[in-house]
Amino acid sequence: MKKAWKAAMLATFAVGTLVMAGCGSDSTSGSGDLPQVGVAIYKFDDTFMSGVRARIDADAKGKAKVDIVDSQNSQPTQNEKVDLFLNKKYKAIGVNIVDRPAAGGIIDKAKAANVPVVFLNREPLKEDMAKWDKVYYVGAKAEQSGEMQGKILADYFKKHPEAYKSNDNVLHYVLIKGEPGHQDAELRSKYVIESLKNEGIQVQEIAQDTAMWDRVKGQEKMAAFLSSYGDKIDAVIANNDDMALGAIEALKAAGYFQNGKYMPVVGVDATAPAVQALKDGTLLGTVLNNAKKQGDAVFNLMFVLAKGETPTKENTGFEIVDKQYIWVPYEIVTKENADQILGDK
Amino acid sequence: MSGSRVSKFMTQNAIYIVLVVLVAAISIYSPNFLSMTSFRDILIQSSPRVIIALGSAMILITAGCDLSAGRVVGLTAVVSASLSQMPSYPHPFFEQAPNLPTFLPIIIAIAVGACVGLVSGLIVAYLRIVPFIATLGTMVMTYGVCSLYFDMEPNNSQPIGGLRPEFTVFGSGSLDLGFVTIPYIVIIAAVIAFVMWIVYNKTVLGKNMFAIGGNPQAAVVSGINVAATLIAIYVIAGALYGVGGILEAARTGGATNNYGNMYELDAIAAAVVGGVSVTGGIGTVPGIIAGVLIFTVINYGLTFVGMGPYWQLIIKGLIIVIAVAVDVRKYLARK
Amino acid sequence: MSEYILEMQHITKSFPGVKALNDVSLRLRPGSVHALMGENGAGKSTLMKCLFGIYKQDEGQIILDGEQVEISDSRTALGLGISMIHQELYPVLQQTVMENLWLGRFPLKSYGPLKLVDHKKMKADTAALFKEIDVDIDPEELAGNLSVSKLQSIEIAKAVSHHSRIIVMDEPTSSLTSDEVEHLFKIINSLKAKGVAIIYISHKMEEILRISDEVTIMRDGNYIGTWPSDELTTDLIIKRMVGREMTQLFPEKTNVPGEEVLRVENMTSIRDHSFKGVNFSLRKGEVLGIGGLVGAQRTEVIEALFGLRHLAEGKIFIHGKEVKIRSPRDAKKHHIALLTEERRATGIFPMLNIVDNNTMACMPKYRNKVGLLNDRLREIDTDEGVSSLRIKTPDTQTRIQSLSGGNQQKVLISRWLNTNPEILLLDEPTRGIDVGAKYEIYSIINRLATQGKSVIMISSEMSELLGMSDRIMVMSNGIMEGILDAKDATEEKIMELATAGLV
Repeated sequence: MKKAWKAAMLATFAVGTLVMAGCGSDSTSGSGDLPQVGVAIYKFDDTFMSGVRARIDADAKGKAKVDIVDSQNSQPTQNEKVDLFLNKKYKAIGVNIVDRPAAGGIIDKAKAANVPVVFLNREPLKEDMAKWDKVYYVGAKAEQSGEMQGKILADYFKKHPEAYKSNDNVLHYVLIKGEPGHQDAELRSKYVIESLKNEGIQVQEIAQDTAMWDRVKGQEKMAAFLSSYGDKIDAVIANNDDMALGAIEALKAAGYFQNGKYMPVVGVDATAPAVQALKDGTLLGTVLNNAKKQGDAVFNLMFVLAKGETPTKENTGFEIVDKQYIWVPYEIVTKENADQILGDK
Repeated sequence: MSGSRVSKFMTQNAIYIVLVVLVAAISIYSPNFLSMTSFRDILIQSSPRVIIALGSAMILITAGCDLSAGRVVGLTAVVSASLSQMPSYPHPFFEQAPNLPTFLPIIIAIAVGACVGLVSGLIVAYLRIVPFIATLGTMVMTYGVCSLYFDMEPNNSQPIGGLRPEFTVFGSGSLDLGFVTIPYIVIIAAVIAFVMWIVYNKTVLGKNMFAIGGNPQAAVVSGINVAATLIAIYVIAGALYGVGGILEAARTGGATNNYGNMYELDAIAAAVVGGVSVTGGIGTVPGIIAGVLIFTVINYGLTFVGMGPYWQLIIKGLIIVIAVAVDVRKYLARK
Repeated sequence: MSEYILEMQHITKSFPGVKALNDVSLRLRPGSVHALMGENGAGKSTLMKCLFGIYKQDEGQIILDGEQVEISDSRTALGLGISMIHQELYPVLQQTVMENLWLGRFPLKSYGPLKLVDHKKMKADTAALFKEIDVDIDPEELAGNLSVSKLQSIEIAKAVSHHSRIIVMDEPTSSLTSDEVEHLFKIINSLKAKGVAIIYISHKMEEILRISDEVTIMRDGNYIGTWPSDELTTDLIIKRMVGREMTQLFPEKTNVPGEEVLRVENMTSIRDHSFKGVNFSLRKGEVLGIGGLVGAQRTEVIEALFGLRHLAEGKIFIHGKEVKIRSPRDAKKHHIALLTEERRATGIFPMLNIVDNNTMACMPKYRNKVGLLNDRLREIDTDEGVSSLRIKTPDTQTRIQSLSGGNQQKVLISRWLNTNPEILLLDEPTRGIDVGAKYEIYSIINRLATQGKSVIMISSEMSELLGMSDRIMVMSNGIMEGILDAKDATEEKIMELATAGLV
């Protein structure tokens, strides 16, 4: 009986202390009457979004209290986080929506509480954006990243006609896609091909498959492509760098990137390992979605909104398109400009 | 003697005490936590989880374990959402929105959940595969079926949105009583909790469930139809996950095939923290509800006080271990 | 140096609402066998739990070799040289005998920085130990292949390996054959010769009188007294245990067998080494005993009658009509009830209360119009069972696991009586039940037979078979060797038939 009593005490005590300890460790619990804003990221273990949220955090120093939370890639969870923000009467909220159609519901909630919303990185539907004028979107145009990938490949094949392995002036490519249905995956896949065609390159798809944004799966899919199509492949298009790097591993294992054997591979994101691969000469090119600039745009916009002002190019530093959109452009990264872009990043 | 009475009270009610302590600790740190809005939010957020946990706990009580819960929530969320779109929505799931009466998608989704439960139940009861593995199988299959459906033309794995207000009202609407409004979702959860309390305590099925979990061989010897009981329990649990899926779709106004991911573990954790024995034969409806509330309070309250998500995970894990350790003591002390 | 190796003095232990031990004392001489007797619930196991530190006594002291000791857990007890051989053994069946024996303290051998298990030494040590207590078991045999008796020998060897000077044996012979009992007694005598003191807990009078030097008797948590065994008789022990005169072991038979209720023809199991060609019949209001040695397939026969086992051949007739019984549910439909031998494994629902346990076999009967259970009716029926079978329990909401074995058994009987059976199959109905409760169970059986219920009772106790049955069917090795009229039957005749099938 005594033991049980002790255990119960221990349990309650431990929980109590931990709550305190956890709070103590939190950096946002500073004092002062800075405006309070909240941002719900779709999930914390996304590399790009980690960059964005680090920038938002950094920008907020001394200007605003910002509460950044993890929606764990679950729309119900994100809705709960937004309810909490509204309950705490934040002045503005940022939402990196998990599922696009759910934005409508969040806009309704925010409108009811009269708290402006900035969506970031994942774009709500047009009709939802039209529900209220205090809704904004900060992001890059996903199609642009595809277009830029196409541009990189077009430039390469124009300079290296010998790279057409079948000597028929047709670019035979394999496409490694991200999660099916994911907006970025679909748009990148579509626009990379359109842009190649616009550049006057004839293309033929040999195969495509999804590798769920994942490096290991990218490697496995590429290995499978190589074993079934081998030398017919002229280029590898991956929806992101992780999968591109996975494909490069598979290519290396098949003898590429040595003794003059080469395969052009393009990705998106310009992650640190991808930039290293650019320098190594294994990755042909990638496209940078500038996390810092997105972070700046999101914070500046929320800050202005929290103060109750109307955002303009002057007070946010970004052009506001159609009164609701800030488009942060993608940038092409190749071996030549890698260091410069990276310094900037 | 009074000391031992206090300690007995403490061990018997450890779950509720932990809940109170949590709320107290959060309120001390952040006094404006104690508000009607927080209370309401916590109840709303607990509602679908209570429904799912009440199903999952039934299977735990039979000394089984249902890993398919989360994926069934996902499937039924997608099914109900796909059938409840507004005809005017520009990205319809079907070429032609079916425009069914509101109740029909709900019935269909519950039936779909029950069907998955039926499959799990048949596998467990007749193929004699341990529930952990059987439901691992149905979990993976359910996700496959859901993704296949979700990827159909013309939807092509796009998140489903544009749900009819008559459908979403179950998730976001409230009953207005004048002096107070009660969210429908909380009413639904309360009604289901009451019905499940009856099922657990006042029906032959409930008694058989505890019997099978407590001593399966004795249940056979007593002439209990173990196979039929197990199947019925899996079907009921599946139907409850179906209700959970519908509410998640209604609450967020949409669905994807990723809905419900990992809910099975949340449900098991909540049930176990709420005093359901993983070795079977023990569990109460109020305990399960308390277990769910503890986790919602952690989710909501710790975010409220601004604690980082990683800290929250550590606390959640600790709560599971501590709560079960205290609960185990409850039975050890008796021996 | 004290005359006693162990003295437990004036031990008192209370639980909320119950005084489990009230000023109990036990004095143990080295090199002796000290029997501890009492009905279930008398406090024997509580006393032993105090000795092993599982409970802390409220008052009183434990003196070992003249020095007072504090025993906080069974590990401390082991360190002080006190071991226990439990009634139920839990060996690791997939491991070898020696691994079981040295579990948790394997001999190690250093290979550089590595310390690995030294199997060679383990085997040698095991063999030496077995030789010391004169048992013949291959140290490398899998524990799962051994008989209960051999597993018990391993437990004893384990105690010896711990240099135990006091060994507690809890019902050590409950699942042993008579040869095995002889062997156990040989081991006990050799332990005695080494100066080891043994606390021997058993209900079997003949054994106690044979093997023990002294007997301590407890009743209802009270210490009744300690006597040298040669001053005691079975009657005296029983009288002191139950606190009243027990003039007879079995109640007077009042039943009158009537017409045939059940007939079994050529019943043969689908399994090879089970029963074959069993024929018998059962009359209304009759008690048919089934005798035989352990392994005679008696349990299998009645489990087949109850639909738990499948038949390759054979017919079952109830009231002259052939019936198929494929599951316990079928059996229940034909008003057959089964009280299994393994009360804990296949009978009780330990975590449920008495009402639930009592009504579990006929739950649908208590449904009201809307299909919900009528708890009041269930309680009324349970209260009735509790009073008519004289079940001792604080209330009907108590979990069954906290009742004594005899009372659990009565709840199970009550469970089956609720199904209104005509034929009761009882498998060792008094196993592990103390004398007083046994008598009550006999009375219940008699009463049921008198009321016209038909009973088949498997028993390994000759006296029980002879005292309770109208006829006795004896099985040996899966074959029915014969049916004796109880009036003409003797222990010798039963034994002769029981061993007939053994070659």
